[in-house]
Amino acid sequence: MSQVTRQRRAITGTLASLAVAAVLAGCAATSTSFPASSSTATPTATAGGPARQASTTASCNPYESLPPQSGGPKATPGSWAAAIRARGYLIAGVDQTTYHFGYLNPLTGQIEGFDIDMIKDVAAAIFGLSPDSPALAQHIHFKSIDDAERLPDIQKGMVDIVAHTMTVNCSRMQEVDFSSIYYDAKQRILVDAPADGATAPDLAQLGAARDKVCATTDSDSVAQIQAAHAVAVQVTYWSDCLVQLEEGQVAGISTDDSILYGMQAQDPGTVVTGSALEDEPYGLGISKAHPDFVRFVNAVLAADRANGTWAKSYRTWVSATAPLPTWPIDYAG
Amino acid sequence: MAQALAEGRAGRLAVAARRESTGRTHWDRASTPGRLREVLAWLIIATLAWGGLATFTASQHASGAGTVVNASQPLVNDALQLWQSLSDANDAASAAILAGSLPPQAIVTRYQDDLNIARGDIVDAARRGGPQGDLDTLSTGLNSYSDEVSRALANNLLGYPVGTAYLRQASALMTGQLLPVAHNLYTIEDAQLASASAQATGLPLILVTVVAGLALGVAYWRCGRWIHRRTHRVFNGGLVLAGVVGAAAILWLAGAFLAGRSDLLTAQAQGTTPVTALANADIAVLKAHSYEALTLINNSGNDSNEAAFQAERTALGPAPGRLLTIAQHDAAGSPGAGPATAALTAAPAWFAQHQVVRDDDNGDNPAVAGGGTHQEAVALVVNGASGQAFQALSTDLAGAITADNAAFASHARAGQGAFTGLEPGIIVATLAMMAALAWGLSRRLAEYR
Repeated sequence: MSQVTRQRRAITGTLASLAVAAVLAGCAATSTSFPASSSTATPTATAGGPARQASTTASCNPYESLPPQSGGPKATPGSWAAAIRARGYLIAGVDQTTYHFGYLNPLTGQIEGFDIDMIKDVAAAIFGLSPDSPALAQHIHFKSIDDAERLPDIQKGMVDIVAHTMTVNCSRMQEVDFSSIYYDAKQRILVDAPADGATAPDLAQLGAARDKVCATTDSDSVAQIQAAHAVAVQVTYWSDCLVQLEEGQVAGISTDDSILYGMQAQDPGTVVTGSALEDEPYGLGISKAHPDFVRFVNAVLAADRANGTWAKSYRTWVSATAPLPTWPIDYAG
Repeated sequence: MAQALAEGRAGRLAVAARRESTGRTHWDRASTPGRLREVLAWLIIATLAWGGLATFTASQHASGAGTVVNASQPLVNDALQLWQSLSDANDAASAAILAGSLPPQAIVTRYQDDLNIARGDIVDAARRGGPQGDLDTLSTGLNSYSDEVSRALANNLLGYPVGTAYLRQASALMTGQLLPVAHNLYTIEDAQLASASAQATGLPLILVTVVAGLALGVAYWRCGRWIHRRTHRVFNGGLVLAGVVGAAAILWLAGAFLAGRSDLLTAQAQGTTPVTALANADIAVLKAHSYEALTLINNSGNDSNEAAFQAERTALGPAPGRLLTIAQHDAAGSPGAGPATAALTAAPAWFAQHQVVRDDDNGDNPAVAGGGTHQEAVALVVNGASGQAFQALSTDLAGAITADNAAFASHARAGQGAFTGLEPGIIVATLAMMAALAWGLSRRLAEYR
């Protein structure tokens, strides 16, 4: 979920263009695109993310992380991965309310989802197990945390890693390190599926009709809704928005498509619609004290992208049919 | 009457003359028969007046006691049961969601029973003339509530986390709107019970009646003296009989009042007062338990539910001026005293277990390898040590409430029983007194014909 700085909105088109140019120039040497197919993402959308993430105080590239450990993920002696292995379990800060990303499955009593798969892959690499191994469960301690706890928990060393639909942005990059991007969410809206043949309205149309649109309190989505002249209805949790939509109290929900897909899965009478409003690149949060662990995790992610593990998770949790999305994978240095 | 007696005294010198003056008319006020008629009329009027006052007094106290037993008590019971059922339903719904996609049948049954009881209480309270506005709010709100809980359970069964959002909404409706109305309803009914009880046990009216009765007795005595002086007869049978019947009526009235008052005050001391205090504690415990579950269900986001739990915990005590300590104090000497005292130790035991739950959930439990997990915390609450500690506390409070409710019912019934037959008894006694007066004085009057 995004908590974007207010400064972002102050950027003029000119500054944004300059930033795009700077970022593209700076990353050109090491930039790759993931996955290899680029059929679904337009160049402007791909480049637009970093540009809009730039702040007036520090220009940065959220799509850039430390290079992966060479030769694949190895818990080499003295590394943080080795320390975790010695401890016996990985401590992961996760969400348990976002369907299909990080949620407590009432059917199994287990925390599951796309974010959770990333954690399982990392733990499997640390402990030398298969991600599907039942033995893996005892090597992961999930700590359910809320949005506000993500950065402090990483900084205080209460968790080794955070997988929590966390958007990488410049201010967060000042506080913690991030892995390479493992999911590139877009801000979109969820509305009731229109009757046969009709087109679902986008945020601008909802705004023109002065409709009510739901978002969590003080989230970046609230500002977007208000900018579109729609009426923002603010709730505590994203799932509260789905209740509001189902009870007919709002006309739509505005947030990351990752969260909206999870809602759509719970209510087939809805549809994710509207043009992508903002890029919300998700990274795994890791303490700046453990750059070696960032490189370890990036090696895990790189291997996952290469061997289809990532695609399998995407097909399981995000979409069984949608084309695999693309975004730049940049490494510093 | 006093005037008649004074005139009697003034006319004492003319006694001999009057004895001979039989030729005067019967209605001559100065003659002895005239005086006798006047005295008879005054005494009968005074007796009738006192009889009316005594009947009114008896009816006031009897109807107060009757209202306590037949109207107020059932309404208070309905309101209390409604308030408790709603709190328990809210707790059971949270427990059901927390327990997993397919909650244990016992929890679902508990929830459904609570709703059925609550609906029955609303209907019953409406039939008995409870406040219509509150009952309408509760009736409508309960439908929305059960609707949202049904959606919560259905989504939970499908494995959809939106189920917890429905539960949150339902719980907010219950704690934010319905429980305050139910509490208000209970307060209103409880106040009406207190006022009915005060009517039945109030002192002023009965004191006035008894004093008036004694004054009537004095009047009988002085009339007796006057007749004695005029006629040289020691006793007037009618006056004596009226005096005896009057004395019996006063004794019955005072005795019934004292017995009824004592029973009703006991009903209050061992019933209403401790039950209200215990119910306040019980409902705070149920609220806290549902907040404990909501904390585990929501988990991510914020800690408002844990803060709400801590607020209820602080309100409960045990500490001077807190709910559990007040309940224990009020229940002292009542049948519920034992379990009410046991709750003072059961509560801290549960609070200690709650801390273990929080530590497990936060991964901060030093006693568990790795600091504990969310699943371990849930297991503790659903059927582990924490759940059992809560159950023990809840059982103590429910046991104390049941015992003191029974004490209230039996004492209130006994209080009402003390007034049985009093009203017609007083009316019959008054009629008998008037008849005796008429008989006794008319015999004297006949002697002048």
